[in-house]
Amino acid sequence: MLRQENLLPKPKTRIKKKMATIELKNLYYSYSLHEGDSAFSITDLNAIWKDRTANALLGPSGCGKTTILNIISGLLQPMSGAVLFDGKEVNRQSTRERQIAQVFQFAVVYDTMNVYDNLAFPLRNSGQPEKNIKQRVKEIAELLDLTHLLGQPAGKLNPAEKQMVSLGRGIVRKDTATVLLDEPLTVIDPILKLDIRRKLREVQKELGITMIYVTHDQHEALTFADHVTIMNKGVIIQVGTPEELFLNPATPFVGFFIGSPGMNMIDCEVKNHGISVNGFSLQISEEKIRKIEGLGGKIQLGIRPEFIETRKSPGDNWNTFELTLVENVGAYQILTLEANNLRIKARVDDQFKAREKDPIQVHFPEDKVRFYHNEKLIT
Amino acid sequence: MSIRAEKIYKSYEGKTVLENLNLEMESGSFCTLLGPTGAGKTTLLRILAGIEKPDQGTVFYHGVDVTSVPVQKRPVAFVYQQFVNYPSMTLYENIASPLRVSRRKISKARIDRKVQETAELLGIREVLHHLPREVSGGQLQRCAIARALAKEAKYIFMDEPLANLDYKLREELRGQLKEIFREHEGMVVYATPEPIDVLTMATHVGFLHEHGILQYGEVREVYEHPSHAEVGSWFSYPKMNMIPCEVFKHNGATQLKVTDELKIDIDSLTIELNRDRYLLGIRAHHLSVLKKKKTMIPIRATIELAEVVGSDTELHLRHENKRMILLMQQVGQFNVGDVMTVYIDPEQFYIFDAQTGEFVAKTENQD
Repeated sequence: MLRQENLLPKPKTRIKKKMATIELKNLYYSYSLHEGDSAFSITDLNAIWKDRTANALLGPSGCGKTTILNIISGLLQPMSGAVLFDGKEVNRQSTRERQIAQVFQFAVVYDTMNVYDNLAFPLRNSGQPEKNIKQRVKEIAELLDLTHLLGQPAGKLNPAEKQMVSLGRGIVRKDTATVLLDEPLTVIDPILKLDIRRKLREVQKELGITMIYVTHDQHEALTFADHVTIMNKGVIIQVGTPEELFLNPATPFVGFFIGSPGMNMIDCEVKNHGISVNGFSLQISEEKIRKIEGLGGKIQLGIRPEFIETRKSPGDNWNTFELTLVENVGAYQILTLEANNLRIKARVDDQFKAREKDPIQVHFPEDKVRFYHNEKLIT
Repeated sequence: MSIRAEKIYKSYEGKTVLENLNLEMESGSFCTLLGPTGAGKTTLLRILAGIEKPDQGTVFYHGVDVTSVPVQKRPVAFVYQQFVNYPSMTLYENIASPLRVSRRKISKARIDRKVQETAELLGIREVLHHLPREVSGGQLQRCAIARALAKEAKYIFMDEPLANLDYKLREELRGQLKEIFREHEGMVVYATPEPIDVLTMATHVGFLHEHGILQYGEVREVYEHPSHAEVGSWFSYPKMNMIPCEVFKHNGATQLKVTDELKIDIDSLTIELNRDRYLLGIRAHHLSVLKKKKTMIPIRATIELAEVVGSDTELHLRHENKRMILLMQQVGQFNVGDVMTVYIDPEQFYIFDAQTGEFVAKTENQD
């Protein structure tokens, strides 16, 4: 016979996990007001990270990405503007109230406690029965491949394992809706980094948590995230999938920052319905020319090194460059090519054979060429 | 100019770091010491520079035994992984200081010229009058390199100088260092765990493994002909796939069999395979999602992870119970868990002894 109370959810033990769509609205922040130094400010920044997505916040050191992360978590208060979780302002809520877990560069674990107790700690703090704790710790340990280490003191683990425990402590509470990671792989040995990246992805999918991963390393960002937010000097420049950022960088900075080596950016002029670059001309379709003709200001042509075509024999719409440097990376080679004070990089496969100082014919395929007007993508 | 290390031994608190290590590096070269973290690269570099003494063994510079010559009296400069600068001196003073204390008594004008020249070369002229804390990490490390160059040391030792820099800065500095040291007349010895540093900058490479040098030679030679599975594996980015296989005889032909789908004919090889098991080594860029050549072998594989690296995508695949990595030179979207057909180039395999790891043969390019 069923007892009535079993049909009803128990309000005390069932914690409802919040949705976690995170939004920043008209955010302002300045360190100088706090500390009197001349660090940049964040001015009128707007951003949104959708519920249950894997995101990265990517930019060079000092671009403001950690500041943003700390504002989301509540460690820092914005000067003005709102932090919204699912449309509700949380500016006055603590990190815990926002149901956020954080993973930092250095793992936060209790070295003298064993792994089990480390994972159980946040649950014991919230006064859950030991039976539930045991079950949950077991689940999380399994998810993170820590089961065989449960009895070990955390101090004996390697940095990668410690970082996993650190993550485990964050996600062990079932109400954790968001995990913020700030350069979590910096101190991890290169070989172990791969395992952690794979694991993070798995955890994000499995638990349906919103994750924001802060890094200066495009490799980590593009691998981890479905949506990458690129920042520079306190400003969000572009949000997109790795593919979008690669194919259609919104500004020359994104073109440079994503890809290896970055996009070639070449100052150019529109002349006689064609493009003139440092003394030689490129034939471009009327349609594209019309979009950039008469704009005034600075026009730049962007082309990725991997899209530049090279060969030995001259031809129509091919231009002669001198090969000045060959860097053979194994899987491919990076050529530095120069002509009329113009210096570009091209990527060719490992079979391409040419020597430094050789003349090389260069062609920019039109569908791969991008034009920028005053640092903004036009076409 | 040359550096020779003979029968070097070094241990710390009973733990062996280097054991009977021998190495000879020739003049005019940019030599790299490659090896995983903990292989002893830093120790070897410090011994070669004279910062530390070996327990046993001899170090020769240009044929002269310098083992007991202290570092201050050697014509050397050392660039560390951490940016070592005098915090209260401007970048200018940091670069000039070794010249001021030099016993060669260099004139002020000459010092100024030297500082300006090297700063120009490294692109830090605009920040010469700033203090270290006022400039970026990249500029600091350029300053440390400029100091080593300005000193005109014959032997420059660098210990992972790019390790602490941003990805983009590393990329930029690699190209620049190659050009700078092409003009430099002395020798450079550069320790790194990154194969890309070696491939882009160096003329020579020594691979450190189990307390000694496993292979030393010209960069392309070592890359094309690794003497050992460990060299092949570490001197590739991403790491060379090492796939266990067994010798399989079928209708009079000999094959190396990985799985039913993946078998390599080896009758064209003029070597005798007298073991049962081998390792097939194949670099990630010789696996492809497109059938680029008729001879390529199709196999079915599950995607375990897709990593975007620069302008490439690394697909981590599982084919039956074998894991392998495919490097694709474009940025694409892949779903983890999807099964796909990939193609392997049978003409790009290295065969290593499964027990000793030693190189046995390389399948030939038929083009």
